[in-house]
Amino acid sequence: MTAAATLAKNRYVPAALGVLSFVVFIALIELLIRVGVINRFIVPMPSDIIAAFPRVIMEEEVLHRFLLTAGEAFSASILVTIFGVAGGVLLHRYNLLRLATETWVAAVAAAPLVLMYPLYLVIFGRSALTIVMMGFTAGLAPIILKTLEGLMGTRRVLINVGRSFNLTRSQQFWKILFPAALPTIFVGLRLGLIFSLINIVGVEFLINFGGLGQLINELAERYDLPGTYAAICFVILVSVCVFIIMERLERWLRPVD
Amino acid sequence: MAETGRLTLPASRPFGLPIGPVTALRIAIIVAVVVVWEIVSASGWLYRDVVPSLVAIGKALYVTLADPTFYFHLYTTFYEIGIAMVIGGVSGLAVGILLGGSKFMSRAYEAYLYYLGPCPKIIFFPIMIMWFGVGPGSKVAMGAISCFFPVALNVAGGMREIDKVLIKVGRSFRANTWQMVTKIYLPAMRHPVINGVRLGLGVALIGTLLAETKLSNRGIGFLVIQAYSIFNMPQMYALLIILFVIAIGANTLIGRVGGLDDIKRS
Amino acid sequence: MAAVTVPLGRVDAGAPRVTPAQTGSEQAILVVDDIVKRFETPDGVLTAVDHVSLSVSPGEFVGIIGPSGCGKSTLFNVIGGLLDGYEGTVRVAGERVRGPHASIGMIFQEESTFPWRNVIDNVAFPLEIAGLPKAERYDRARHFVKLVGLDGFERRYPAELSGGMRQRVSMARTLAAQPKILLMDEPFASLDEQTRLLLGDKVLQIQQELKQTTLLITHNITEAVQLSDRILVMTYRPGKVKRMVEIKLPRPRTSEIVSSEAFGRYVAQIWGDLREEAGRGMEDEEARKLREGEHR
Repeated sequence: MTAAATLAKNRYVPAALGVLSFVVFIALIELLIRVGVINRFIVPMPSDIIAAFPRVIMEEEVLHRFLLTAGEAFSASILVTIFGVAGGVLLHRYNLLRLATETWVAAVAAAPLVLMYPLYLVIFGRSALTIVMMGFTAGLAPIILKTLEGLMGTRRVLINVGRSFNLTRSQQFWKILFPAALPTIFVGLRLGLIFSLINIVGVEFLINFGGLGQLINELAERYDLPGTYAAICFVILVSVCVFIIMERLERWLRPVD
Repeated sequence: MAETGRLTLPASRPFGLPIGPVTALRIAIIVAVVVVWEIVSASGWLYRDVVPSLVAIGKALYVTLADPTFYFHLYTTFYEIGIAMVIGGVSGLAVGILLGGSKFMSRAYEAYLYYLGPCPKIIFFPIMIMWFGVGPGSKVAMGAISCFFPVALNVAGGMREIDKVLIKVGRSFRANTWQMVTKIYLPAMRHPVINGVRLGLGVALIGTLLAETKLSNRGIGFLVIQAYSIFNMPQMYALLIILFVIAIGANTLIGRVGGLDDIKRS
Repeated sequence: MAAVTVPLGRVDAGAPRVTPAQTGSEQAILVVDDIVKRFETPDGVLTAVDHVSLSVSPGEFVGIIGPSGCGKSTLFNVIGGLLDGYEGTVRVAGERVRGPHASIGMIFQEESTFPWRNVIDNVAFPLEIAGLPKAERYDRARHFVKLVGLDGFERRYPAELSGGMRQRVSMARTLAAQPKILLMDEPFASLDEQTRLLLGDKVLQIQQELKQTTLLITHNITEAVQLSDRILVMTYRPGKVKRMVEIKLPRPRTSEIVSSEAFGRYVAQIWGDLREEAGRGMEDEEARKLREGEHR
């Protein structure tokens, strides 16, 4: 096999190429700014951005802000999990209700709910409550739908096993339906929590209140370019980490798939 | 309402009316919501006008739809989203085909798209303003960035799902690259592509509108924030209703178009 | 370069040695010369095809039969130009094959009709790629749709057709390109027995009518004997030519011929060769599964 083909088959080479491309790209930007091709007042030098990191972390109490955003996310998660799963269970239990409202819930899931944030501002004021409620609203529909999907998708044969043992309705639910639906419910939770998180950080930015989202807004309004870019990178990093953790968690909780 | 949980519907028609139980329940729910709304509105329990009377909202709807400047803003938003979808969609398609078609490229770069996807894109808005100004340019940029990710990821996944034998057929007939893309890849991927576009439209809508609420002087998002700033709640509700109807309608339409060829072929 | 003798690896006493010159024609239309194809796997280097040579005259129907895992599909891909990185050469009408060739038509084992195109558009596909004008494309395509017996179904979609009909569409599509050589890789594998028999008849009929040079890869001995002029029996991995059998049965191969004693003897002879190879294949497979299980 040719050398190039061998390289291509290697596990690490493509990943290394990806990282390398990124580094080269950054270096290129740095060069272009120094030379003057790119306006340094529109795009700050990567070296400045990197230098801004420690400054931003120290001065802007990034940890404190992170905890604020995390707190909001946590509250929203709890709320949305309880109401979302309960909603899905409810719709499963009462067939008529499901038939009447399922399409409505699906429609809501497709709607740009985050645009209601000015409404929430009026109702809840410029506070953490607005942010939490926005996260809650955004994440609710997918969780309801996935919970419903999981429960309805239980294989007929498993239900029949339960009936053959004369299980009561409650036993049937807790011992058969719910465990069988758990994998799908987790998918729904992951989707819902991601939507919540996106909306939480977004609304923090928009209403200029809260933790990390607000930090970006503030730095932008101060025209602190390197700081703004640094804060954005930081938020991206946090978002990526949260996403990875959620994936690992999901995989750990559903070992057999 | 019957608490059955059985899989069959009650066969009875409530009250002997010529409508099924599902429709009856839907009407009952809507009526209940309307009644509760009006009570809360009239009671003044939440401070004035947070829950305006439905009549007021109806009036605001009428006024808005009759106002010609509304359509100017609507057109602006449509235009921004349209261009954003073209830019984001085409680039997403191209990148998706590149990544999906080559295992090597996928291993090198797809992870970046995958992990950047769930990031809130609105945080890039200050940068977009700096690069594209305060006008529609920055809004289009927001929409395009938002739209790019779901399209690229769906297309990349779709490429990998194409039945390998169809690619072999194309190669055995010596189709060139353009022919492979237009006659084999794209038709074979129509479902993932349509799904990607559907998702892309959803997030492009959000990205563009949020950008309009943050910093703009035109567009539906601007109108919403304007209504907020002068505390014209009925107007805000009216605008949100119009917005949601359009968004849900567009989503349903694309879904129908996607399902259309399945109906045709069966 | 066309070799004078063909190395056969393990040669049984009395097995005929076939040389390109012996095929009875001066100009062989397809010359497969000493192909060796190896693959790198996690378990080491695998030789799929080990010094296989073959020469085919115009209008001949050659069957290639062997146990699963003998490299027949690899050979199919090599001759068709879909695989490279092998030793040896493949020539069609004297021209070296380096990639998919206009003179070679391939029919694959899996379902390969385009589900988004109707029958006539599927069949017209190669003509579209070649850039033929619309009217001509559809004229030709219609001719081949008729040839495979699907006239009336031009506007239907593959989802509306049965498996056997879909394979006929794939066949018509490949034939529409009018290749000099038709390569088929177990085209009837996914069909039930009765459909397979009917389609086999159809293929024979078409082949006789078009005088189409055909290579058929199959694991079905009866099918191979029924359809072929000559049969190449391959060994298990690494795939070599075990035997070349000439089927001296008259054409057309009616059902009387198929149920005749002579036919049965050919089948028995080939099964005798194959059985040994298939047995080795099974043992190998079981040993591999055992190893995999231990690693877990």
